[in-house]
Amino acid sequence: MTTDLTQLLLNGLSIGAVYALFALGYTLVFSVLGVINFAHGAVFTLGAYFTFLLIGGSVGANGLLAGFQLPFAMPFWWALPLAGMAAAAVALVIERIAFRPLRDRGADPLLALITSLGAGVVLVNLIQLLVGAESYAIPTTALADLPPAIKLLGAQVRTVQLLLLLVAAVLLVILSLWIDGSRSGKALRAVAEDPTTAQLLGIPSARMIQIAFGLSGFLAGIAGGLVGLSVSIAGPYFGIGYGLKGLGVLVLGGLGSVPGAVLGGLIIGLAEACVPAELSGYRDVVAYGFLFVVLLVRPQGLLGRVMPTKV
Amino acid sequence: MNTPLLALEQLTVRYGGITALRTISLQVQSGELVALLGANGAGKSTTLRAISQLVPAASGSIRWHGGTINGLAPERTVKLGISHCPEGRRVLARQSVVDNLELGAWLRRDQAGVRSDLERCYGLFPRLAERREQLAGSLSGGEQQMLAIARSLMARPTLLMLDEPSLGLAPKLVAEVMEALQALHRDGLTMLLVEQNANAALAIADRAYVLVSGSIEQQGSAAALRHDERIKAAYLGP
Ligand SMILES: Nc1ncnc2c1ncn2[C@@H]1O[C@H](COP(=O)(O)OP(=O)(O)OP(=O)(O)O)[C@@H](O)[C@H]1O
Ligand SMILES: [Mg+2]
Repeated sequence: MTTDLTQLLLNGLSIGAVYALFALGYTLVFSVLGVINFAHGAVFTLGAYFTFLLIGGSVGANGLLAGFQLPFAMPFWWALPLAGMAAAAVALVIERIAFRPLRDRGADPLLALITSLGAGVVLVNLIQLLVGAESYAIPTTALADLPPAIKLLGAQVRTVQLLLLLVAAVLLVILSLWIDGSRSGKALRAVAEDPTTAQLLGIPSARMIQIAFGLSGFLAGIAGGLVGLSVSIAGPYFGIGYGLKGLGVLVLGGLGSVPGAVLGGLIIGLAEACVPAELSGYRDVVAYGFLFVVLLVRPQGLLGRVMPTKV
Repeated sequence: MNTPLLALEQLTVRYGGITALRTISLQVQSGELVALLGANGAGKSTTLRAISQLVPAASGSIRWHGGTINGLAPERTVKLGISHCPEGRRVLARQSVVDNLELGAWLRRDQAGVRSDLERCYGLFPRLAERREQLAGSLSGGEQQMLAIARSLMARPTLLMLDEPSLGLAPKLVAEVMEALQALHRDGLTMLLVEQNANAALAIADRAYVLVSGSIEQQGSAAALRHDERIKAAYLGP
């Protein structure tokens, strides 16, 4: 295989894996509540900043936290899962304030689109207030013991990208196995299909919804940390672009379908990677154009079921 | 008389402005099979939903072993031993027969007991055994009803509440389901059976209540109600 092709494939797959993690986070929440959590992109962003801080990064000059640095620093491999957990905690708070009050009052689930969008905007602004709008780079020295590039199939490839792909793949596999095969995964699917019946079986729906939010936040946080390492944190808004792409992937794969989210992510990632560098400004056009065409032919998405009308 | 297993006392339930149940009282003794009869919209399903806490009581109390359980989370009533097989089957269409059954045992931790109960369900409804790996959504209506009943049994309930298990089934299947319920009753299971098919229900019940627009109009032993002129006129065939 030629160097270029290997590099291209890897670019596409690794960014696609990030989109897949993103879409899977949306999918988890969508399948149990039937709505999109619009604060998901902000949780991703937070994951990146958490990772940055945990590896010992210090805040720039423009926020309320100017110059702040944690009293300790840890290797990337510790920082990443911890950042994921912190992001999961934030996702749980979002569930508590933007979703649960509406559910308790029996409000139209669609209202959660607005409240979650609100929560996302608040988070993004909070980040800007605290650490400013400048970009932060997670130094690849965080991976001290790994070489910056390695040889693969005759090509020099960036280690970071391989890692991204590997971590995402492992998470995706674990999550799919859990959802399909484990007792609690089946209970989560039961809540997704019919929350009332799930309750009549003794499955605590509220609890399962929290689990879905926690997991989706964890995935978003990990994805944020990995992207921060791979291409740097471009500012408080940097999750938004990924968030929209993740939504596109979700729709492309089929709403609520886990394999669909993965397939959609990889396809969009590869499609983008095929755009020549000199036309890179048109990447999004390719991604969304592709989405548009697929939806014309298959409105339910690649692996989606025909949507049942919500009763 | 000893404390009934389940007692509704002056229970009122409202949906917004509509009063669906008006101060109804009802008891189920341990080991009894009690039928709850009534026409469409009489409030039968609402009664079961109130017991399993899917709808709140506006007033009155729901007592379990004498203690009030009003306001509990629905999943907690399952833990208490109340299993509610809802109207319209409601199987989890996208999961297999065996997964549906295992989810019915969600709160149980005794793996061996769950295994043997699975086998017991397959014995009770052999059609389910042949289809254990099939998606529940692909079962016929009658098979789905059997699955829903079997799934409710997997919780190993003290009280099994069934909402119109005969609905939409061919006469032969109705007989099959009623036989299965009768067998469970013989084994000592306490049941509250909601039915519009009064004939079928009164044939296997010990006692029955008749709901008319949210109030209990009649009650008595199944044998007596079977020969009651009003019941005959309203619910039973000639
Ligand atoms: N979610 C609801 N919102 C408003 N009204 C409701 C609701 N559910 C039931 N009702 C009303 O409460 C009354 C009792 O309904 P319920 O479902 O308990 O009747 P039922 O006896 O089970 O009837 P069926 O035999 O048709 O199942 C009906 O008038 C019905 O319209
Ligand atoms: Mg009913």
